[in-house]
Amino acid sequence: MKRTRAGWYEAARKAAALVPYLAAVAAVFIALAPVYWLLTISLKREVDQFAYPPQWIGFTATLEHYRDAFAGGSFAAYFENSVLLAAISTLAALAIGVPAAYGLARFEWPRQWDHRIGDWILSTRMLPPIVTIVPLFLMLRQARLLNSLTGLAIVYTGFNLPFVVWMMRGFFEEVPKEIEEAAMLDGESRAGALLRIVLPLVRPGLAATAVFCLVVAWNEFLFALILTQTEAAMTLPVGIASRVTQYEIKWGAMSAAGVVAMIPVLVFAAAAQKYLVRGLSLGAVKG
Amino acid sequence: MLEITGITKRFGAREAVSAVSLSACAGEFVVLLGPSGCGKTTLMRMIAGLETPDEGTIRLCGEDITRRDPRERDIAMVFQNYALYPHMTIAQNIGYPLRVRKRPAAEIEAEVKKVAARLGLSGLLANLPRQLSGGERQRAALARAIIRRPKAFLMDEPLSNLDARLRVEMRAELKHLQHELKIVTIYVTHDQAEAMTLAHRIAVMRDGKIQQFDTPANVYQRPLNTFVAQFVGSPSMNLIQRDGVILGVRPEDVQLSASAQAGASPGRIYVTEEMGNETIVVVSDGSSQITARCPAGARFEFDSTVWYRFKPDKVHRFDSSGARIPD
Repeated sequence: MKRTRAGWYEAARKAAALVPYLAAVAAVFIALAPVYWLLTISLKREVDQFAYPPQWIGFTATLEHYRDAFAGGSFAAYFENSVLLAAISTLAALAIGVPAAYGLARFEWPRQWDHRIGDWILSTRMLPPIVTIVPLFLMLRQARLLNSLTGLAIVYTGFNLPFVVWMMRGFFEEVPKEIEEAAMLDGESRAGALLRIVLPLVRPGLAATAVFCLVVAWNEFLFALILTQTEAAMTLPVGIASRVTQYEIKWGAMSAAGVVAMIPVLVFAAAAQKYLVRGLSLGAVKG
Repeated sequence: MLEITGITKRFGAREAVSAVSLSACAGEFVVLLGPSGCGKTTLMRMIAGLETPDEGTIRLCGEDITRRDPRERDIAMVFQNYALYPHMTIAQNIGYPLRVRKRPAAEIEAEVKKVAARLGLSGLLANLPRQLSGGERQRAALARAIIRRPKAFLMDEPLSNLDARLRVEMRAELKHLQHELKIVTIYVTHDQAEAMTLAHRIAVMRDGKIQQFDTPANVYQRPLNTFVAQFVGSPSMNLIQRDGVILGVRPEDVQLSASAQAGASPGRIYVTEEMGNETIVVVSDGSSQITARCPAGARFEFDSTVWYRFKPDKVHRFDSSGARIPD
């Protein structure tokens, strides 16, 4: 059938409408391909891992690498370290950062010191983290906290604090202050109003902030690599990388550990998703 | 009952409230009236304990509460934006003051039901505030304020977010409610009609100072200065400069006639506004404009000539600084 000029035009328009979908599919594919590859490597026998052409599907699956990594190897210990570290540093950053954010958002500061303090807090996020590593190393050594989870927890807490303060400050500012004043007139102390009225209202923000802190602490590699050198305080990312040895690279075990390392973040993000979407788009707090 | 003595509040160099003294008797409804920025809200917030005065004392039922925490004052407040707790149902909102006071749950529930029924909220108790209309939210905020029978009510422009019809309805409702409860009420507004209709006494404020504190009738009939004279009453009082004094005449005290009369001056019709129950006529006499309130149906053509005169016993006289000259 011969197309008319209008027919061609119509066809081109339809094709153009498909472009965003194709782009989205391509983006998803590009984002997920390495994850898929990681997953398959962790399930393949060693002989299949570098077969050519690559076996995308239909390989012989095995769980030996998982057994190798977690039963025999020390990944279970790394995993535990990472969980502890992420949880403690996140809780600590929230425990310090949330009251600080509240203070900056609500109280009157002489000569706009709230703005200055806020800017100084933010400024610590502006320098590349690696420039702080030598001073941090020296300080932790002096405090005998090298190679310890405590030392890393302190570093991660400090690292996440500015983010917590800035995020939560925004959320607190979104809550009309009359709501808090109403609570105080209704018989609450300021602390009571904060705990029972304001915090429930900023819960989406709290959830989003906590997820972010957890992910940062969970994935952090550089500080963990330099500030811990013994097995006792090794985290999952450093542990995985340590399987690249002089003699061999244990792709299977590394991949298996990598897959397991993704799970907690996925679970947590899924659980907090309802809050994440609302939390990351400011303005969701008002009722 | 409520006694405010020499209260001053500064924000930086600016005095928001300057040495204000004010008292309200038991069960009295006092309205703080003034334009925005006159200090009326700051004064109310100091009574509530949300701001601390720099000078002066506030006494409630004989006790000095100047520096007490808001929660220790036993005062309830209704906010302009209602300030309901968005994450709680209406029942929880209304019952909150009792819950903070650790009253038994059964008692709270019974009280909430009673108050909700009084304010027509019975069907809405399980809803969240965002599911309610503006008027309903306003009622819920009122319910939360009255449930614990405080020593005093504070209301900060509680009706200004409602549409015009609802505002008039709620105004009447509020007045009756206050009459029932007989609790001293301080009410902040910039709406002179609200002030006139609600108040036992009006405190007219400007630049942090009280200009006049008196009954609505006296504020209207004997304004102490030109500011009060023009702020209260709608359309506002005509002020005419004459021989070094300022004459003040309410629009209803201006008489118009189409023909020359003894003691009347000529002017030209600038505009007429039919209100249905009355007609507002603005007359221009060359140097100034004079507003007159005429019966419904009064008809004047644009630019036609009329004669106006003031009812002689209704002319207020102010000196050049604006202060009333005693009769």
